[in-house]
Amino acid sequence: MKKPRKALMSLFLLVLSIALILSGCSSKESNGQNGNGPEKGGKVVVDFWTFWGSEIRRPVIEKIISDFNKSQDRIEVKHTYLPWGDIWTKNLASIAAGNPADLIINDINSVSTRAKNAQNTNLAKYIAKDPELKNRFYPELYKATLYKGDPYALPFNTDTRLLFYNKDMFKEAGLDPNSPPKTWAELEEYGKKLDVKKGKKYTRIGYLPNYGIASDVWMITADGKGYWDFKAKKPIINDPKNVEALTWVKNYYDSYGDKVINSFKAEFGEETADPFVAGKLAMTTDAATFYTKIRDYGKDINFGVAPLPEMQPGSGHTSWGGGFAAEIPKGAKHPKEAFEFLKYLTDVQAQQYWAEKNFDNVANKKASENASKSKDFTDDGKMVYSAAVDNMKQTLLTPTPLEAPDYTNLINPELDAVLLGKKSPKEGLDAAQKAVKKLVKSNK
Amino acid sequence: MSLAAQTKRNYFQSVKFKKRLVKALVTIILISGSLLILSPIWWMVSTSLKSMQEIMTYPPTFIPEEWHFENYIETIHKGPFLRYTLNTVLITFCVVIGNVLANSFIAYGFSKIAFKGRNILFAIVLVTMMIPGFVTLIPQYVLYAKLGWLNTYLPLILPAFFGSAFYIFLLRQFYLTIPNELIEAAKMDGASHLYIWWKIIVPLSKPAIATVAIFSFNGAWNDFLGPLLFINDERLYTLQLALQVFKGQNDTQWNYLMAGSLMALLPVILIFFLFQRYFIEGMNLSAGSKG
Amino acid sequence: MQPTLEQKQKSQTNIKSKKPKIPFKQKEQLQGYMFVAPWIIGFVVFLAGPLLFSLYGSFTNFNITSTMDFIGLDNYKRMFTNDNIIWISLGNTLYYVVISVPLTTAGAILLAVLLNQGIRGMRVFRTIYYLPAVLSGVGVYLLWMQLLSPSSGLVNTLLSWVGIEGPSWLADPAWTKPALILMKMWSVGGGMLLYLASLQSVSPSLYEAAEIDGASAFQKFRHITLPMITPVIFFDIVTSTIGAFQIFQEGYVMSKSGDGGPANSLVFFNLHMWNKAFEVFDMGYAMAMSWILFIIILVLTVINLKLAPRWVHYEGEDQK
Repeated sequence: MKKPRKALMSLFLLVLSIALILSGCSSKESNGQNGNGPEKGGKVVVDFWTFWGSEIRRPVIEKIISDFNKSQDRIEVKHTYLPWGDIWTKNLASIAAGNPADLIINDINSVSTRAKNAQNTNLAKYIAKDPELKNRFYPELYKATLYKGDPYALPFNTDTRLLFYNKDMFKEAGLDPNSPPKTWAELEEYGKKLDVKKGKKYTRIGYLPNYGIASDVWMITADGKGYWDFKAKKPIINDPKNVEALTWVKNYYDSYGDKVINSFKAEFGEETADPFVAGKLAMTTDAATFYTKIRDYGKDINFGVAPLPEMQPGSGHTSWGGGFAAEIPKGAKHPKEAFEFLKYLTDVQAQQYWAEKNFDNVANKKASENASKSKDFTDDGKMVYSAAVDNMKQTLLTPTPLEAPDYTNLINPELDAVLLGKKSPKEGLDAAQKAVKKLVKSNK
Repeated sequence: MSLAAQTKRNYFQSVKFKKRLVKALVTIILISGSLLILSPIWWMVSTSLKSMQEIMTYPPTFIPEEWHFENYIETIHKGPFLRYTLNTVLITFCVVIGNVLANSFIAYGFSKIAFKGRNILFAIVLVTMMIPGFVTLIPQYVLYAKLGWLNTYLPLILPAFFGSAFYIFLLRQFYLTIPNELIEAAKMDGASHLYIWWKIIVPLSKPAIATVAIFSFNGAWNDFLGPLLFINDERLYTLQLALQVFKGQNDTQWNYLMAGSLMALLPVILIFFLFQRYFIEGMNLSAGSKG
Repeated sequence: MQPTLEQKQKSQTNIKSKKPKIPFKQKEQLQGYMFVAPWIIGFVVFLAGPLLFSLYGSFTNFNITSTMDFIGLDNYKRMFTNDNIIWISLGNTLYYVVISVPLTTAGAILLAVLLNQGIRGMRVFRTIYYLPAVLSGVGVYLLWMQLLSPSSGLVNTLLSWVGIEGPSWLADPAWTKPALILMKMWSVGGGMLLYLASLQSVSPSLYEAAEIDGASAFQKFRHITLPMITPVIFFDIVTSTIGAFQIFQEGYVMSKSGDGGPANSLVFFNLHMWNKAFEVFDMGYAMAMSWILFIIILVLTVINLKLAPRWVHYEGEDQK
């Protein structure tokens, strides 16, 4: 009976050593837990979560934070980086557990959905003290943060789709490099002229209406409206203008065939090589930040930038945008202090700094205008940035409708079916309308 | 007599020849398979050695035009990666110990001792594997928050010491292949189950336990969701979490991301390489003697 | 060490014939509980609560952060009456399970047998084949999206060498799932490891005996190797079926917008569940979905367990 005791001994020793290791681990961490403590040297610590961890963005946001921390002696903002996408899963879990961040960057289009589900804080009482505050933002962006009339976030940055075109290729194809297409008809006409074919294979494509953007943007441009009528609270997916727009995209698409387009899209779809930068596409639609790709990876591309072409002369160049807002999660420990910083974050100085260093569109009007004249930008940079700032007046946001927050999951497959030729544009949009209506009904 | 000897020799020669032929064939298959397996990994290596400029060119190059070995050094300097590595090593070490000990212990109970309710309990073990993790994610997070374990490694490490269904099931399957006579014989000699488990079953199932060690090393090393949810302080981040800084919303730094991922891969490969000796030892053990 | 069949039978009859005394049995019971106690504690502390919570949650309008009102079977009703995507997602998931599980199982066994031949450089080969199983997560999927790119991707380049014009994989709804299965096959090394471990317990003396009887390589595999590794095959099939039913991240990352496109071809059950839970915060509904999936998996596992005695061979199985 000696042996079993030895086995027991060794087991006991193992368990003991593990217990030691564990207590070692945990005691170490509990020291590092000052993030949750409310005060640090008499200051209130505001925990600020962002997904800006890259070597370009991180220093910019941290400079803004340290400027704020130096500007007063009451509040200390602490920045925590969390990976893109996953940051919001964690946000949700931490709200459920009652220990969220004090401030977080989140998608602007779903602010009201989160407000409805009590995930963020009503800012009305803070803003009431400062009625001028809302005027610093583009109205369309501020509007997107409202739920039942009250703001639940403040817009931070934004984007808007523009048409980029290669001037050298325009010249080569006998087009005027200083007059980009203004209507869909012109876009298509120029696009065909810019195509280059070698045998049966395209070596260059003039333009693809659903590369970089999807058909829904063209439906917005057609009539200045999205899929949703926010006043009547109902989907307007299959309105005649949308059918017309989708038919145009579909015909354009068919003129190449899905084989050409699929392989072209998949070729360039993975955030690596871009066809416009690589000289395989003469015109493309993208946000202003696309300029940084042209600047960093292009080989001296002589390009121009213009608003999206309109459906018919006079129908309007409405573009589509999105962006991010900063909000105070529900249950945050220091909402008042977080709002103090939020004000600073959306003020001219911080916003202009962000705009210039990242070449990113910001929500603050004054900062945007200042940035478009920035000394930090080259001539090309100023051209793109001011075009984007100009475009803001005709940029539509598509906030998530409260009645059917996941409506795009029902619409996109129908759009795919249309482009694959399984349904006509009318049938596809009708089906989408019906499915979304059903979803609205089941959500009631 | 000499005729018989000769035919015997011929026979052996032909078998030997056949064996050699088979071995050669298998080698050829394995080499060509290796090339297929490795080509995606070469893509990672090649990307890690390119400049962003080159990654953005079209068509993509299979072999870098310029070799930027300094990418690896730059990657390490993009953040306190030594710290992240140590954090990850600590967690992984604890998790592997926990998984190996707890699961081999528990699996013994489920396979070698007959007790009331064993089958029902084992059914519950299997059931816990069948529920998608998302729906328990939030309640689990709340639970750890209530326990005051957030921002510590406890939620990442401690559960490993209470067994996991996958490994319990795996080890049970292996234990069931070990003949019961061994246990009966030991019992006759007055050995306790604890002794039998530690001195007979564990040594006999080294390959299986090595498998559990490798899998759980791999799992803990690559765990992303756990550290993401439970750690708030960036200084306590793990490698997989820290590597995400290279992956932005639309400005991914592919070369650093790949270089970092490849470097993070090395320890796992090393562990696998080392643990492989258990996959040969097991064979010797049952073979008794073999050349 | 390895007992012959005869010895085994003899010892088994011995065990049966001997009736253990009662106190011994009680002690045995106690020891059994002691061994599984860690798991029971872990289950009660870490798992039972969240599981029961999610079961209750499936009967509520739980939105994670504010509401949790009991609504009876509403979530379940909605699934059957108002959600078309759930059926598409179930179809996609079944497709993936039915094709990928047999392929990966067979692939892993074959690979393990090849890697158990005592060839020069075996360790290196094993490491190479295991390598893909080590690579995990989003990075791998992004890597494969590049490899599967229709005209310049590695996969189609390799296919073109043998004269096949590859499909456009992730852009073509008919080829998206085969693309994922191909990717899964690449990392079959994880399963290979299980079989490799299991093959070590097959006694070489069995092979030697069979060789003397003039058995062919296939016969040896069929009558010695295969029966000896059936416990692990069983394990592999059960767990990889469960795993395949829960496929999520592949669909989430590789359909570019996370919505399971093109044309819903990558909407898997768990992806739809994820969208319901974390995109629109309909967690109650997602919990209900998870219990439906649970029942499906449970039924399949029970069938698996019932069929097991017909083909799974345990060397050391105790009689009840």
